[in-house]
Amino acid sequence: MDYKVDLRDVKFQLFEWLPTAKLLEAEKFADWDLENIEMVLDEAVKIAQQQMAACNEDGDRIGAQWNDGVVTLPESFHTAYQTVTEGGWIGLLANPEYGGMGLPEIIGTAVNEFFNGSNVAFSLTLMLTRGVGHMIEGFGTEEQKRLFVEKVLAGQWAGTMCLTEAQAGSDVGASKTKAVKNDDGSYQITGEKIFITGGDHDLTENIIHLVLARTPDAPVGTRGLSLFIIPKIKVNADGSLGESNDVYCNNIEEKMGIHGSPTCTLVFGQNDNCRGFLLGEEGHGMKLMFHMMNAARIDVGLQGCAAAGAAHQQALAYAHERLQSRSWKEMQNPEAPQVPIVEHPDVRRMLLSSKAYTEAMRAILLQTSYYLDMHHLLEGEESEKYKSYVELLTPICKAWCSEWGVQVTHWCLQVHGGYGYTSDYPAEQYMRDAEIACIYEGTNGIQALDFVARKLPMNGGKPIREILGAAEKTFQRAKSDSELMEPAWMLAAALKQIETISKELTKRPDAIQMVLLNAPPLLDMVGTVVGAHLLLDQAMLAKTKLAAILEEKGIGTQDKKAYKEFLTGHAEAAFYHNKVQTAIHFCYRALPTVAAKGAAIRSGERSPFFAIM
Amino acid sequence: MNCIVCVTSVPDTASVIKIGTDGKNIDETGIKWIVSPFDEYALEEALQITEAKGGEVTAVTYGPARAEAALRDCLARGAHKAVHVIGGEATLGDSFTIAKVLAKVLAGREYDCVLCGNKGVGTDCSQVGPMLGELLGIPHVANVTKLDVGDGSFTAGREVEGGLEQVESSLPALLTCQKGLNEPRYAALKGIMAAKRKPVDKIEVASLGIDEAADSFYTVRSLELPPPKSGGTIIQGEDNPAAAAAQLVKALRDEAKAI
Repeated sequence: MDYKVDLRDVKFQLFEWLPTAKLLEAEKFADWDLENIEMVLDEAVKIAQQQMAACNEDGDRIGAQWNDGVVTLPESFHTAYQTVTEGGWIGLLANPEYGGMGLPEIIGTAVNEFFNGSNVAFSLTLMLTRGVGHMIEGFGTEEQKRLFVEKVLAGQWAGTMCLTEAQAGSDVGASKTKAVKNDDGSYQITGEKIFITGGDHDLTENIIHLVLARTPDAPVGTRGLSLFIIPKIKVNADGSLGESNDVYCNNIEEKMGIHGSPTCTLVFGQNDNCRGFLLGEEGHGMKLMFHMMNAARIDVGLQGCAAAGAAHQQALAYAHERLQSRSWKEMQNPEAPQVPIVEHPDVRRMLLSSKAYTEAMRAILLQTSYYLDMHHLLEGEESEKYKSYVELLTPICKAWCSEWGVQVTHWCLQVHGGYGYTSDYPAEQYMRDAEIACIYEGTNGIQALDFVARKLPMNGGKPIREILGAAEKTFQRAKSDSELMEPAWMLAAALKQIETISKELTKRPDAIQMVLLNAPPLLDMVGTVVGAHLLLDQAMLAKTKLAAILEEKGIGTQDKKAYKEFLTGHAEAAFYHNKVQTAIHFCYRALPTVAAKGAAIRSGERSPFFAIM
Repeated sequence: MNCIVCVTSVPDTASVIKIGTDGKNIDETGIKWIVSPFDEYALEEALQITEAKGGEVTAVTYGPARAEAALRDCLARGAHKAVHVIGGEATLGDSFTIAKVLAKVLAGREYDCVLCGNKGVGTDCSQVGPMLGELLGIPHVANVTKLDVGDGSFTAGREVEGGLEQVESSLPALLTCQKGLNEPRYAALKGIMAAKRKPVDKIEVASLGIDEAADSFYTVRSLELPPPKSGGTIIQGEDNPAAAAAQLVKALRDEAKAI
């Protein structure tokens, strides 16, 4: 399967729009500059295209295989995994003290878009392995760090996070897996976890599970959960591998997509021989797990963006090749030749909407990653400010990007007509593989509740006021531009809608019911406004760059035909021109849904409570 | 065992090539320059040789300022140092001039193997390597797909029609590398990071005492793109295959002039 990504847009967002160059001036990033960062991106795309995309179809068609407790992955996954580990890509962001590369989060996000877009099933193992390495590095004892971190971040050992049990899905507090302390300080673990991504496979000699379990007499609910490091194979004090740690995979799920990622049921301690090691303190399991989950939530949102970007590039190429029907300009002429479907207005709309949502997602994800970098780099109040932005935007990254990611894959499949529904083209796999992002790492419903109940009121509502305040400033700047004036006013109207609804909703006697019922559309409204704000901001920058090219080349825009001809032959100018058109399209098409959703919520309609189900 | 790898930077093979306004060069706007893919085999082989036997890999290129990116790429993959001869447009340049420049730079350096790609993608001349071997006065073997380097000697294999030819000779020697010799590695992140600090020795071509314009074997008079593909012709032949075949032969002879 081929993988294409709009690397030009990624580089525009990173190097022209975001202050990446300034970020790299920090002492922490002394080893990196724009030149070698660009090499990192280029090499990552090359690996994504040549190695990961090359086994994406194997992952889907052969998939993970379970046989008598042992899970195997396609041979081609092993080759790709070797390339990734040899290159040090799992430790991309990690502390150099543990063999990591110490790159900024924004670069990690860009690289992981390529990896997720070319093969999300494969990349899940990388994401979880990275997460486990960072968790033990952050919260482990010196001994735990010594034994695990370097090997995990090098990808020699893989990692997983184990939360879900049959009766404890979104309700994690209902977990029953038990942990009883041994005399030597380790814990005896017994229990069963389900839906464990990468729970077993043959890519690595060992797998390090981070498992939520309950100690005896612990309080009920999430407060009683502790987090344990449980290796698949016991690790000796010298770091060598010992005997099996009594972790058994007794099943993998048959799923709609991501067939190359084994979703495992893991039985811990069926022979009373499973030992775990407490990470952090007893009762702090959920608190710690949230560190991993928050990072994973941004990653899952990135999966939506990555699927959208890959699907859009593929559909765009297809639309240029596929001949069907006559040009709309020759509608009355049955003798007119067939034209590439990219000339049909409906196809163009779907393609531009796909592009617009993809770039809005990319902007939200990169902006959030930039805030995360600033949080890490700064100290005190400033650092806390950026942290609050990340916390506010995390559920938007996860839910908004996964939701619209699926929608974009749907549009892109639709561009293909009947062929899109067949397995001859990758469109259907992109769509099947993207759906899971709406579900795992906390369903999008859970994300929306987190957003409205925790994140909006956080710090007295300061973070949301500041983010929407930035959107207001974008409106103020864009409204004086004749081309962007109307889209800018649409942004203003959507902002007003959000302001009105937040005032009205809290005053209602049924406020709690209304918020619980409408959390997902509320999250979508804010996500759409933030997306429009960032795209408009980018469009203003693109206009300046385009103007400079036009001036240099002595090209006017009055003669539409000549201008279009110039754009066709000048890739850079066309890129900036398209950035502007993309932002305009997004404002006109997406922002009105904010008012529509707002109207539905403000109506006070509560039929789902009254319908008999 | 020290190896010198000669590389050239060429437009990314996925680039859309346009002719420049002078009609003799390509329009470089928006072109991404990469190490010529055949040179990647040469670099990989050099890295493998020095990893097994010790020594250093020096990457050498001759080209304008932008060619330094190719050297950084080689350094990221593991080359120890690099030499950049800053000079004219080597991508479409005369093979003999390039060979002369490289010979001058290599003279006086210590090396056991000089490795080149068997050709530069784009011009596909396959001349620089053998010319350089002659100018250096060392044995050279072209189109190598198999290589064993010993102490003071080597055995190289290359595909000839119907078989594999084995060549033995002494070191130092020059070899041009062909697809099949090895699988070029990706740059590791550590390598990319380290490349920034590795030395690139910059030499102006004029300081070598070579006049780039003199004694060239060829000059580019003009460049043009291949004609755009026209639509195919379908000859309907279900009813009368013999007539269709005759029509096809006529078209091949008269229109396509293929037979």
